Amino acid sequence: MTYIIYIIVQIMIMLLLAPLINGIIKKIKAFTQKRTGPPILQMYYDLFKLIRKNSVVSEASSWIYKAAPYIVFSTSLTAALLVPVTIKLVPSFNISGDFVIFVSILALGRFFMMAAGLDTGSTFGGMGSSREAMISSLAEPSILVCLFTAGLIAGSTSLDQMMMFMQAKGQGIILMNPAIILLFLALLTIIIMETARIPIDDPSTHLELTMVHEAMILEYSGRHLALMEYGAAIKQLIFITLLVNLLLPHDQFIGAAGLGGILISLLIYFLKVIVITVVIALIEINTVKLRLFSIPNLAALSFILSFLAFLQYFLLGGGYVQLI
Amino acid sequence: MSSLFDILSVMILLSSFVLMANKRIKSYIKTFRIQSLLIAIVAGILGIQLIINEGRVDVLIVCIIIVLLKVIYIPNLLRRTYLGVEHRVEKDFIWNIPILVLICCGLVVFIYFSITAIEGISEDISTIQLVNSVSVVLIGLFFMISRKKAIGLIIGFLELENGIFVTAMFATDGMPFIVDLGIFIDMLTAVMIMGVMVFRISDKFDTINIDELNKLKG
Repeated sequence: MTYIIYIIVQIMIMLLLAPLINGIIKKIKAFTQKRTGPPILQMYYDLFKLIRKNSVVSEASSWIYKAAPYIVFSTSLTAALLVPVTIKLVPSFNISGDFVIFVSILALGRFFMMAAGLDTGSTFGGMGSSREAMISSLAEPSILVCLFTAGLIAGSTSLDQMMMFMQAKGQGIILMNPAIILLFLALLTIIIMETARIPIDDPSTHLELTMVHEAMILEYSGRHLALMEYGAAIKQLIFITLLVNLLLPHDQFIGAAGLGGILISLLIYFLKVIVITVVIALIEINTVKLRLFSIPNLAALSFILSFLAFLQYFLLGGGYVQLI
Repeated sequence: MSSLFDILSVMILLSSFVLMANKRIKSYIKTFRIQSLLIAIVAGILGIQLIINEGRVDVLIVCIIIVLLKVIYIPNLLRRTYLGVEHRVEKDFIWNIPILVLICCGLVVFIYFSITAIEGISEDISTIQLVNSVSVVLIGLFFMISRKKAIGLIIGFLELENGIFVTAMFATDGMPFIVDLGIFIDMLTAVMIMGVMVFRISDKFDTINIDELNKLKG
C-alpha cells in the first residue's frame, strides 16, 4: 500500500512540477532583458495544445521514429521513481534499483532520442545526434564518479539509502564537508550538461546551426513533440531533485509525522527546487554558449570536481569527519 | 574550525585546477586574484585566532600585506603589462586542456601517497590540508611548464609561491614574520623585473611566446 502511494505521489509531483521549472527560468531571463516574457505556466499551455493535435510522420521514417517519444517519456518517468522527492514517503523496504540503473535508464531514453534524430535522414537531426552523443559520453563518467562517491560516503548504492544517510548526518542546512561541497559543484555542472542549458546548448534557439537538443526533435510535431518536451522537462527535474535531496537534505528538521509532516516536507522540497532553478537561471544569464570544441574542457572540469571529491573522501581517512 | 580550513584548502586546490583549465591571459589574472583572496581569508582567520589565543599580531599583518600585494597590486601590474605588449589570440598551452587537467589530478594522487608515506608528522596537522596545499605547489610548477607565453610563466611562479605560503600556514601557523616579509619583497622584485622582461621580449621578438626565443636573432 505504501508502495502504491509512493509511486502515485512521485509521478504526480514530477508531472505537475516539471514544466514549471522551464517557465521560471524563462521568466527570470526575460526579466533581466527587460521583457515581460511568456507567463510562468506557458509550457503547460503548450503541452496541452500539442497533446490534442495529430502528429505528422515522415514517410521515409521507420518504427523507431514513432516509438522514440513514448520510450523517452517513459524512461524519464521510470527514472523519476528512483529519486524520492521526500524521504518521509519512502516505503520501509528497499526501492529496487541503484544509481547505476538510474543512469542507464536515462541513457536508454537518450539513445532512442539520438536514433530518432538519425532516423528521418535530415541533416539537422544527424548533426544534433552526433553532438548529443559527444556531450553525453563526456558527461557520463563524471555523473557516475559523482554518484559513486556519494555512495561510498553513504555506504549504499541505492539513491534513497544515500539520501537517508546524508539526512542523518546533516545537522546544518548545507553539509560543511569538502567532499560534499565538491560533489555539489560537480552535480550542478552535470545538470547544465545533461539538460541542454546555456553553456552547452541554448534551449531557446530554433533552426540554428548551434542547436543540439532542438536539432534532434526538429522533425517531431503534435503529440510526439509534446512527449519529447515533457520527457526532457521531467529529466531536468529529476536531476534537480537528486541535487537538492542528496546534498541539501531537509527532512531532519521536520519532527512531525503523518500527513502533516509529509506536506511540510513537500513544501520545503518545492522551495529548494525553486532556489536551484533560480541558480541555474542566473548561471544561464551570466554565461555565453561555449564553442562545441570547448565542451570537453567543461566536462573535464566537472569530472575533476567529482574525482577530487572521491580523493578528499580518502584523505579524510575513509570516514565521515565531524560536521560543523 | 579545522573543517573550515579543510574546506578552504579544497577551494584553493580547486582554484588552481580552474587556473589550469583557463585559456586566456585575462582569466589567468582573474583566477589568480581569487586564489590570493582565498589565501588571504585563511591568513585572516588564522591571524584572528592567534591574536585571541597567543597575542601574536604578525599573521594578521601578513594577511593585510597579502591583500594589498597579491589581490590588488600584482594582478593590476600584470594586467597593465599584458595590455602594454602586442598580443594575439593563439594557443597558449602545450597539450589540450583535458589532458593537462588530468595530469594535475595525477599529481594530487602522487602527493597523497607521498605525504601519507612520511612518518612523524604531528597529529595536529590535518593530512587533507597538507595534501591540498602541497598539490598547489606542484600544479603551479606544472602550470609554468605547460604555458608558452611569458605572463603565464609569471602566474605559474606566483601560484607556486601561493602554494608554499599556504603550506606553511597550515603546517606551522605561519613562518616567522621576518621570513614572510623577505619572501614578499623577493616576490615583488621578481614580478616587477619579469614584467620589464616581458616588455623587452615583446620589443625584441614582436611576441611574448617563449618558443620564439629558440630562434637566433642578430
